[in-house]
Parts: sequence; C-alpha cells; structure tokens
Amino acid sequence: MNNNLNFRQSKTVSLKLILFLAASIFFLTIDSELKISNEIRKNTSHIISPIYSTAELPIEFYHVIDNYLVSKNNLLEKNKILEKKIFIQSGIIQNIPLLKEENIRLKKLLNSSEESATSKILIAELIKVNLSPFSNKVILNKGRKSNIYIGQTVIDSMGILGQVSEVNDNFSVVTLITDAGHALLAINARTGKRIVISGTGDNRYLKAKYISLNEDVIEGDILITSGLDNIFPEGYLIGEISNVNKNFQKNFLDVTANPSSSLSSNREVMLLW
Amino acid sequence: MVIFNKIHITVVTLLFFGILLNILPLPDTFNSIKPPILLLILIYWCMAYPNLINLTYAFISGIILDILLIMPLGYNALCYTTTIYLTWLYYPQIRLHTSWNKMLSLLLILVPYFLTSTIVNKMLEIDYNIYDVIISILISIIIWPALFTMLRFVRQKYAS
Repeated sequence: MNNNLNFRQSKTVSLKLILFLAASIFFLTIDSELKISNEIRKNTSHIISPIYSTAELPIEFYHVIDNYLVSKNNLLEKNKILEKKIFIQSGIIQNIPLLKEENIRLKKLLNSSEESATSKILIAELIKVNLSPFSNKVILNKGRKSNIYIGQTVIDSMGILGQVSEVNDNFSVVTLITDAGHALLAINARTGKRIVISGTGDNRYLKAKYISLNEDVIEGDILITSGLDNIFPEGYLIGEISNVNKNFQKNFLDVTANPSSSLSSNREVMLLW
Repeated sequence: MVIFNKIHITVVTLLFFGILLNILPLPDTFNSIKPPILLLILIYWCMAYPNLINLTYAFISGIILDILLIMPLGYNALCYTTTIYLTWLYYPQIRLHTSWNKMLSLLLILVPYFLTSTIVNKMLEIDYNIYDVIISILISIIIWPALFTMLRFVRQKYAS
C-alpha cells in the first residue's frame, strides 16, 4: 500500500503535461479576446465573493481592534482637524455655483454646448484582497445589483482612480489609471493641450506619451480629464507632471506624472453616473 | 481507498488555505515580494504522494488562482504545471537530501517557475521588477524548512 503511494508509477504524467500545457497556452492566447475568465467569474460570483470576504477577515479584525483601542483624545483631535477641513472646504465651495453660472454664460457667448453635470454618486468600498503584483486592479463590493456598468468612472476624494472593467453580481473589478494597459486623454490645465496619459504598472507613476519635443510642458503642470474619450467626464483631476526629460535622440519627450488620487491606500471610492 | 480519500481531503483543505494566504491583503511593498505559498504547498504534497498529487492538482489550482486574482486565464496554470512536473521528475533525489540541500533543490525548482512566469510576462507585455522576483525566491527558500515541518506534521497526523 505504502509503496503505491510513495513511488512513481503512473505513466500518464507526460501525457497530462502536454495536455495541460497546451490547454493553458490556448487559454492565454484566446482569453484576451473571448474573455472566458470574465464569464467564469460572472457565473461563479456567489462562490468567489465569500472567498474574498474570508481572505479579508484578518484585516477586518485588525480594524475592529484598532477602532476599539483608539483613545478618546485621539478621536477628539481627529474630529477637530476634520471639522476645520470641512469649514475651509465649504468656504471654497461657496464660489462654485457662481463659477458654474459664469461658465455657462461664457460658453453661451462662445456658442459651445453645455456640459452635463454628474447626476448621481455612489460610495463603494474596496475589497482589500491581494491581487497579482503585476496587474493594477482593485475589487469593489458593489456589482450589477447597484446598476454599475462597464466603463463607469471611479474617483476618490483626490482625483480619478480608474474605470470599471468587469461587473459581476456582487462585486466588480476596476482597472486603475496606472495599469500598464490603460490610457486616457487628458488636458494640460495650463496650456489646454491634449495629452495621452498611460499607466506604467507602478502605482506611483503615470506616463505621458507622444508629446513632441518642442511642446510646452513643464514640471508641476496639472492634468485634468478631457471628456473626449467618452469614458471619463470632463474636468476631473488626474495628476501632476513630475518630471520632463528632453532627449534629442528620441522623437518624443520623456514625461512622467504622479497620480493625485491615493491609489494604494484608500478604502472608499465614489462611482459616477 | 479510505486512505486515498483522506489524503485528497487533507490536500484540498490545505490548498484552500494556500489560496486564502495567496490573496490575503498585504501592504503594497510586501505584495510584490510575497512567496508563492500555494505552489510551495503543492510541491510538498507532490514530493510526499507523487502518484496522487501531481499535474491535475497543479493545473486546477492554477486556474482557480487565475480566476480569483483576475489574471490572464492560464498564467498560473502554465507556471504551476511546469513546476510540479519538475518536482515529479526529481522527487526521488530531493527526498534524500538533508534539509539544507532541500533548500537548494527548491531553488532549482523555483527558478524555472519564475523563468516561465517571466516569459509569459514578456509575451503578454506585463510589467514586473526583476529584484522583486529574486527577493521572492529567497523568501520562499527561507520559509521552506518551517513550512516543510508544518506540512509534515499535518501529513503524519491526518493523511498517512
């Protein structure tokens, strides 16, 4: 009995190797087009989401303990800071209706179309499971039941976070703007020039592509969404240009930007309609 | 037959824990250097019962991991299948090693694993950092003796 268990006997292993290798290479090549894994996730989302929540338990437990142990003084201090912040921000917001009206008036003068403001905001929470280090994706705890659709914009309090790339029954997947396969059309707020911003795979950097050598781009320029890609609404903050490297051997400028949203540390995000 | 069932149940339970450990939330810096725990568990069981736990287990757990981690389907399945095949080929030699030598032989198994994943990364144009990969291999080798002892304890208690 023990001999059977402990020593190599089966001759089907090399056959299995060929079969499985062929199957995985086949999956790898067709998955980007047929989206088989999306379909599987869609049909098994009621099995997958409990696994995610189980994996999340330790960090939930840590948060509960952390909340329990935080001292009253700390809370009071935090409360004071937040109140101050709200006070300042509501002071700034007072100007906005005026600015909006002025903007509409000026646009009418220029005969350009009115922009439609976002009508609804939904707050969703990130499921903090550890995805692969190579992909910049996060999972939200809201799905098709909350009318989320593919391509929807996700923001946090500081700026654009990404777009919804997959919707399942009770969770959805968001591709961050720093994902290596993601790109969006931005506007340089200072000059009004359009810039293609693509991700690098690193959560701290964005790359600005195809900027010709003589273009006016300097460090500290602020990038906002253009609304021309029909995915992101106009006027949301993307980031700030951090480094401009001019190399005359190349055709284009080497420009990196820092995303303004805190991509790796937030827990709550907003979905726009 | 009873013992076969016992082994299968134990291994499936452990692999489930391995998957949970793989998707456990960690800070970003640790995320890129975490060792492939699920693969290490698979390697142990493949060395223990090569006739029962071999490529089928590797392929299926790879596919499950791909679906859970939102990666291209087949990525982990490919890497796990090749690695477990290597383990299956060389387990008689590895079993005879002392525990220090076992760490080295694990290196010989894990380097092809990361090589496969690097080739797939290059093919799919996924960005990765080579230093993170090296640190990840080193960490897996360092935790291997502890994991080995733990899994052997489980095997002797529940699956032998």
